[in-house]
Amino acid sequence: MVELEVGQEVEMEFGGKAKVLSVIGSGGQGTVYLVRFNGQKWALKWYDIDKMAKPKAFRKNLQTNITDGPPSNKFLWPKYLTKELPDGTFGYIMELKPDGFDSFVDILNTYKLEIDPLTGHAVKRQVKFTSLSAMVTCVINIVNAFRQLHRSGKSYQDLNDGGFFINVNTGAVLVCDCDNIAPDGSNFGIGGKPGYMAPEVVRGIAQPNVQTDKYSLAVVLFKLLFRGDPMEGEKVVRDVCLTESSELKHYGQNAVFVYDPNDSSNRPVRGIHDNVIKFWRIYPDYIKDAFIRSFTTGISEPTKRIIENEWQKLFIRLRSEIIQCGCGRTNFSSMFVQPNEKTFKCPKCGMEFATLGFSNRPNRMPLYLGCKFYTCEISPESDDFSTVAGELVENKLKPGVLGIKNCSDRKWKAKMPDGVFYDIAPGKGFPVWQGLEIDFGEIKAQI
Amino acid sequence: MSNENMTEPEVNETQAASALDGFEPAETADTSAQSDDMLDFDDDPLSATGVSRKSLVIFFLIDTSGSMKGKKMGELNTVMEELIPEIRRVGEADTEVKVAVLTFSTEVRWMYSTPIAIEDFEWARLRASGVTSMGAAFKELNQRMSRNSFLNSPSLSFAPVIFLMTDGYPSDDYKEGLRELQANSWYKFGLKAALGIGQEANDNILAEFTGSKDTVVHAYSGGQLAQMIKIIAVTSSQIGSKSMTLSDDTSHELGEEDVFAAKQKLLGQQIQDLVSSQTDGSDVPFDTGW
Repeated sequence: MVELEVGQEVEMEFGGKAKVLSVIGSGGQGTVYLVRFNGQKWALKWYDIDKMAKPKAFRKNLQTNITDGPPSNKFLWPKYLTKELPDGTFGYIMELKPDGFDSFVDILNTYKLEIDPLTGHAVKRQVKFTSLSAMVTCVINIVNAFRQLHRSGKSYQDLNDGGFFINVNTGAVLVCDCDNIAPDGSNFGIGGKPGYMAPEVVRGIAQPNVQTDKYSLAVVLFKLLFRGDPMEGEKVVRDVCLTESSELKHYGQNAVFVYDPNDSSNRPVRGIHDNVIKFWRIYPDYIKDAFIRSFTTGISEPTKRIIENEWQKLFIRLRSEIIQCGCGRTNFSSMFVQPNEKTFKCPKCGMEFATLGFSNRPNRMPLYLGCKFYTCEISPESDDFSTVAGELVENKLKPGVLGIKNCSDRKWKAKMPDGVFYDIAPGKGFPVWQGLEIDFGEIKAQI
Repeated sequence: MSNENMTEPEVNETQAASALDGFEPAETADTSAQSDDMLDFDDDPLSATGVSRKSLVIFFLIDTSGSMKGKKMGELNTVMEELIPEIRRVGEADTEVKVAVLTFSTEVRWMYSTPIAIEDFEWARLRASGVTSMGAAFKELNQRMSRNSFLNSPSLSFAPVIFLMTDGYPSDDYKEGLRELQANSWYKFGLKAALGIGQEANDNILAEFTGSKDTVVHAYSGGQLAQMIKIIAVTSSQIGSKSMTLSDDTSHELGEEDVFAAKQKLLGQQIQDLVSSQTDGSDVPFDTGW
């Protein structure tokens, strides 16, 4: 393996040189360096071509990806290739991770290690989502990124916890390590990371493709929400030592989901899998059912795996069912008491929340100060889950009066207490009252 | 469809039932069962503990006999200090890496009384004196490689990495110690590598220990010593904490025989590849210029 030295210059394919400033990290395929190129700082991934099955084809695929460009701005995409050294070694540069993003690995660990510059000791710093809506937004962003990638006819191949940077305040996502992305059906030697690989890949009977990506995506989502391994339960822990053959068994030949309703042999173990046990009680049934489907029928029948669009709908619903109570309790509406079908009640402080029902879906959205709904929730043709369309706010001139503000660029109609529908222009609002009805156009809503 | 009343096994029950593949169950275990009362249960969707990680213990078996004195020991101490931050990165979210260091000279001694998490590990500089009780070191390692001793993680473990470094011929009956060790399941499935330092170290004995010549390397100079220790420690902990890679061939389904000792074989290949790409002729051999 040809390691680069600090200060060394690497020639870029279309001219210019990238100068190595420091090492960022190393992985299974090579090392990532901080470099300066054209007066700007970049990340350079430098391959250990000895570990690659088909370096020439790999480089050609990378070249194609660079030409095609990223499916969206959610990807830290390869930007320029370097020239090849005489022995064939090469690399590519990409933009650096922006400030404010943490790796998915750090989120799963709940902390990251930082080196104290004075003592040189490693110090743990907490990494945690700052709000429940940021966490669910992050899930929606991950799912949407893979939907965009798969729509462009490519598969990620090596989907795992090392592949994302996440902003824990906003839920923004950047997909990194995009160098193994390849047209669906091709593979340039990457297998994937155990625990994330689809069972058929572990068993050696399939190569990574869009269907195996879907399995890996379900594992990523499960890990993010339930903070544990969907296949690691009693059956696996009993093996004590995870040897090669036990991995083949528990993640390939005989993978059993920890909450498989028809097979209780692999339930999570108290004292080891406490996160999974706890969170399985918190999430609503429609989310749990989606994971059950992914990890039971989805194991043997790749075509029955949940498609990204379905995940996206489920998590947009989940985000709309978050309740942030004035007493500080924040949870999904399924964890609140429901005195009648239109009301939720906080089990801790007794506060009640009215709900808004929409004409195109059965689930009702709880209303609390600061709650928001998004463009895709009021216009059926829209896929925009990140632009706020409406928000529950307090009237600035009449303290204590709550109403819904039209944050969209369209005119709505709302029924006022006098029984008449009034036009609500963008930027305007209307009070929330018992008989409120809203006409968003195609979709209607009422209290 | 989701079943709310499913009961989860507890960690101690599980361990009592565990004796597969010769990995003996632990005698004692934490009983962290909590009240199942709905009212007491912390239902904050954001408060999570870290994901349960698999544990990997890296054992360093280091010859501290008198012949290691001077440049070899100085070089070894320095490279080990530098190595720890590099190994820190390999575990990521899945694996909790711990380090245990066993030194052997006239006596056998652990650097710390228990394996230490890599984040907290600090290298205590070693000194050399005495003879080479390698057999006694094997026996001690066998004792400690047990669920009731150093490998007592309640969660899953990867098979340990065992890295032997020596510069001479054992002064005791190493064969007897090795026989005991070879019966230990953790050793059997573990990733074994060895480094011979200088002319005196016997690569055949080291190959007996690792089970194959591929995972034995030799260093004749200070520069090589540092390189080899890094290559072996980093490569073996990467492989040990990550688990098997798959075959490129998807024409037949993998069976147990295909994956048996896959990691050890991979380690051998990678060590050989890396070693052959190192060229370092400028260093003065350990054994000359005294």
